Amino acid sequence: MSHADLAAGKVIRMSLLFRIQHLLLTVLLTVLAVTGFALMYHGNSLSQWIIRLEGGVHNRGIVHRVAAVLLMANLVYHVFYMLFSREGKRELRQLFIGKQDIDDFFQSLRYNLGTAKEYPRFGRYGYKEKFQYWGASAGIILISITGIMLWAEGFSMIFFPKIVLDLAIIIHGYQGLLAFAVLFLWHLYNVHLHPSVFPMNPSWITGKVSAEWLREEHPLEYEKLKGEGLL
Amino acid sequence: MRKFALTAVLVFLGGAFLPGLARDASASISLEKCTLCHGKPEFRKLLVDGRVRDLFVTGDMLAGSVHGKKGCTDCHFDVSEIPHREHPKRVTCTHCHFKGNREGAPQSDNVLAYFDSAHGQAIAKGNTKAPLCQDCHGSHAILKAKDPGSKVARGQVAETCGRCHMEIYAQYKGSIHGVALAKGIAEVPSCTGCHGEHKIYARNDPKSTVYATHVSEQCSKCHASVKIMGKFGIETEQVATYKESFHGVASQFGSRTVANCSSCHGVHDIRPQDDPLSMVNPKNVPKTCGKCHPGANPNFAVGKIHVDAKNKESGIIYWTATFFKWLTIGTMLALIAHIFLDMYGRTKRLRGER
Repeated sequence: MSHADLAAGKVIRMSLLFRIQHLLLTVLLTVLAVTGFALMYHGNSLSQWIIRLEGGVHNRGIVHRVAAVLLMANLVYHVFYMLFSREGKRELRQLFIGKQDIDDFFQSLRYNLGTAKEYPRFGRYGYKEKFQYWGASAGIILISITGIMLWAEGFSMIFFPKIVLDLAIIIHGYQGLLAFAVLFLWHLYNVHLHPSVFPMNPSWITGKVSAEWLREEHPLEYEKLKGEGLL
Repeated sequence: MRKFALTAVLVFLGGAFLPGLARDASASISLEKCTLCHGKPEFRKLLVDGRVRDLFVTGDMLAGSVHGKKGCTDCHFDVSEIPHREHPKRVTCTHCHFKGNREGAPQSDNVLAYFDSAHGQAIAKGNTKAPLCQDCHGSHAILKAKDPGSKVARGQVAETCGRCHMEIYAQYKGSIHGVALAKGIAEVPSCTGCHGEHKIYARNDPKSTVYATHVSEQCSKCHASVKIMGKFGIETEQVATYKESFHGVASQFGSRTVANCSSCHGVHDIRPQDDPLSMVNPKNVPKTCGKCHPGANPNFAVGKIHVDAKNKESGIIYWTATFFKWLTIGTMLALIAHIFLDMYGRTKRLRGER
């Protein structure tokens, strides 16, 4: 953290490498959702317009798979980064779900309903962020496996009965829908519509958040940084 | 002198008009005159290639037909003297059968449709083997198509087409459709059921009813109908499940390489699944799928191919789909509830702080 940042009350929350991974994820998931849902809901006139725009079902498939390969590459890179880099290991440790998160969740419910006095005090990542992170990761892994099975359909059919591939289609499509719904509702709320960040949490572009916001939303992290003399 | 002049005028007038009179007379050369020769059963001609052309025609043949009141030269109007010296030209049905004709001949655009069809185009290109009207409808004993004895009647047309398309006719006869036709089942498609009547096009012509992307639609005309299929205990969901499958969706968006009904079930040789010759018999499935999916093995034949995720009978597929549906709905409701609660609590906190 530079002195200028400190003077302006800014704290780095996303390093450049994470911002690049996040940007890739944003673009690729959008491409995959547009191409995927157009096929899933192919009877819809909007879908048909999209498929025509992509140059027919054949080209739609190519676009979808190119995006999928890039997304999986992004995922593999992310896994290695989280497991083996110094920054990644530090982040991963703070992303594990513990008993504290479950307590925090119930405390926030109680607080919102008026039976608890204190709102839970989150560290670097609260239960909201952790739910989003692990939910998206599990979803992407599941959708990647089923996607590869469907891509190599001739190969899969040799080893599995057709019912497995039928299941893979169902899981791939509905998992995509679920991921999209969660992303749309939860992520949109947390980083755009939440009163503390509206209209947008800028950290995905600048990487920085205000110290004030950190004190409000992630007080434990704020205190930790303060204790380390970084603020 | 006056007498001579009168005679000269008469001769002149006669010379001018008599050929016309003679032509009028030729239009109604009596049937009896023609059958002097054509009425002999042995009246035939040996062609250069060794085939025999039967030239035997009697009044009785015409009598029962739709042209019962016509005479020979009504159609063979290029015959003006008996015996005719020239080989009469092939009869042109459009001489009478056109829209607006005064003969009272049935009027339709079928003639135009024919000229545009594969057969009509072949004729136009000079293929003398391509069929004209009379090759399918018959020449002298023409009956209405609805008459079971007609050469183009539902029960007869396959044999008529088979006179040229012999191999296909042989395949069709052994197929489930051909066998059903022989049993006299009225709903079963003959050639025209799939290919159309006059609008027959080559299968690689996009106008064809059996063009790759039109096949499923053509089959579904009967196979999606509960009314028809119910009579024979055949499922109708095959069409819908195909349309929802990868093959079906790609076909709907214009892919011509993707499998349609006939890619797997066969074209003229469609047989029931339990028939060892059927392309979808489990024994033959690896070969059938292998046409597009190299390396297809017996595992391809395991389980049901046409699966409907919305149908309870699909078992685990139905339940997985249902599980995900409710998981998604449940998750969304929970998230919405959480978001509202969060906002409510936060508003309270903000007010309290003020």
